[in-house]
Amino acid sequence: MILDMSRIRVLGPMEELQPVLERIQDLGLVHFVESAQTDALTQLVLTPHQERHLRNVRQVAEDADTAINLLGETATLSRRTAESLTLPQAALIAGRTRRALETLEDRRRQLEEERSLILKFQPFFSTFEKIATSGLDLDGIRIFYLVLRVGGEQELLRMRAALRSSLGEGFELFSQPAASGESAMILAVSAADAQRAEALLSEAGVQPLVLPDQFREEGAIHTIQRMQARLKELPQDLVEIEVERNRIAAERGRDLARIQASLHDHLATITTMEKAVVTPRAFVFEGWIPSAARGELERRLQKSFGGKVEVERISKEEWEGELAPVVLKNPRLFRPFEAITRMMPLPRYGSVDPTPFVAVFFPMFFGIALGDIGYGALLAAVSLGIRFRSRPDTKLRAVSQIGLACALFSIVFGFLYGELFGDLGHRLGLHPIIFSREEAVVPFLGLALALGVVHIVIGLCLGAVNLFRGDKRHAIGRAMAAVMVVLIALALMAAFEMLPGRFFTPLVIALLALFPILIVAEGVLAPIELVSTIGNVLSYARIMAVGTASVMMAVAANRMAGAFGGVFVGLMFALLFHLINFVLSVFSPTIHMLRLQYVEFFGKFFSPGGVEYQPFRHWSPREGAV
Amino acid sequence: MEMEGSWLYLSAALAVGIPALATGWAQSRIGPAAAAILAEKPELTVTAVLLIAIPETVAILGFVVSVLILLQGGG
Repeated sequence: MILDMSRIRVLGPMEELQPVLERIQDLGLVHFVESAQTDALTQLVLTPHQERHLRNVRQVAEDADTAINLLGETATLSRRTAESLTLPQAALIAGRTRRALETLEDRRRQLEEERSLILKFQPFFSTFEKIATSGLDLDGIRIFYLVLRVGGEQELLRMRAALRSSLGEGFELFSQPAASGESAMILAVSAADAQRAEALLSEAGVQPLVLPDQFREEGAIHTIQRMQARLKELPQDLVEIEVERNRIAAERGRDLARIQASLHDHLATITTMEKAVVTPRAFVFEGWIPSAARGELERRLQKSFGGKVEVERISKEEWEGELAPVVLKNPRLFRPFEAITRMMPLPRYGSVDPTPFVAVFFPMFFGIALGDIGYGALLAAVSLGIRFRSRPDTKLRAVSQIGLACALFSIVFGFLYGELFGDLGHRLGLHPIIFSREEAVVPFLGLALALGVVHIVIGLCLGAVNLFRGDKRHAIGRAMAAVMVVLIALALMAAFEMLPGRFFTPLVIALLALFPILIVAEGVLAPIELVSTIGNVLSYARIMAVGTASVMMAVAANRMAGAFGGVFVGLMFALLFHLINFVLSVFSPTIHMLRLQYVEFFGKFFSPGGVEYQPFRHWSPREGAV
Repeated sequence: MEMEGSWLYLSAALAVGIPALATGWAQSRIGPAAAAILAEKPELTVTAVLLIAIPETVAILGFVVSVLILLQGGG
């Protein structure tokens, strides 16, 4: 549900402005808005000194944020303590730590780059080293280090032929296969022939190996030896950086966390101050608070400031519902499903929160489509895994809880269909209680469409409730549409002899009688809208389609076990196919059932455009955690 | 009789095949547009997924009709 909100005005003497804001921040429930200006009440403007202070605070907060990001998981967040640092002290600590950590990070990045560079060349160098240390006299000799790609025998032959015709016997060519499958080669020519050799290599399409800049001037053998030595040293260098980072974290982590929290709080206070309107002696704030918490705010301000600060409730006649921020508050069991509602824009204040309906229908539809004890159990295991790896109140935790609800419904419907990894359940003695989805396609379709009628009718009724406060004529039209959808469904049941045939004519007469009322209430486009609503109901056939596809795939997977020569091979194929089917059977119903919620159901009543509730409260490092 | 059976299966195949092709064509047009939107406004992910999923109704209804054709034909 959407919490009832009160619009309030907080008035007090100017000298209490900051302390009042601090108390309100402690409570963390007031969503401030720009206050209305009058001739006497003007917006609070910061003095140049305050502006400068604000810039400094922002800079230090940025330093602290960056430093804590660089510390990563090692940052320890302490509770706010009584002792507090002055801004210059905080600036010194945050600035120094940021610079130290950035230097360490640069150094770490350089070392990582150096290591990956050496590793790239390593297979060739170990090969070159073997060739080059085989007793060659290198005075007056130019050495080319070459790499021949895998399968480059033609290039090698072309190169040998070209070198022989151009240089005669004045060259030596050594080659050795490297671990990568490429060939490392050394071409030795006299310094006088070097230019010609280079041109020939280019013509033959063989590229000389380009050494990294930092090693180039040292000569080949030294380079190789130095690179190998560096490769041994690098892990130690990286460990030293990590040790230094941990030392900084242990030494300054708590201070940084405290600086970060207090400065973000301070920044929020200054930003909120700008929403006040003031006279030379008094301030006025306007904002929103959940109605149930208004008494608590009044008590706290009364306790701290006596009668000097006043909280005034602005009557509902003075404000429009659309402006109120929206707070979704649902029972614990439904709360994870707020994640699905929140994927759409927030519902408008005063409209219906769809979360409780999503919490019932989404996992139910999912379970009807998946409907398999085995897959349901697997989904439960995956969801539990995610649950244990996620933190409370994060999106991931909500996903795990939604997954568990879906798994539960899948297992329940698995029992009703008698399915355990497809038809394996039948073979193990499980029997369908309502119907077997392999055979009873039409009853399954009937179930899906019946659910569609129920879901759409609930949506239309919610739409009528939403509209009732403002546009009563349209509300009646929406309710009429709901009644007509039910009548159409009943008439069809009578026509197909699922209900006694004598009901058919009265139902059709009732429909025809309601038709003019619908047109008067909803306009001339109402019949088209009604046909579209019937189309929405048909869309629920996807529950049956997705479910049937899932069970047929599972049956096919089970048949694989016996379709291949060996039992083991068949079993492996069956398991693989079940795994693929499990992934598809979870993904596909998720998308389709979400669509049923958002397009078919929400389309009947959902009115987006709610304002996000952003209470003025203490900063938390977990804000935005996933 | 055999000929009738062939027509039945062909009809069922066409009932699901043609809508599936149409869905594929529609999604091939919506997909790149949705990807382009997401590059600029990642917050529209849900809208994009829904837009891509909307044409699937046609294929699903085709599948339902196809199953009904087979069931009716099979008696």
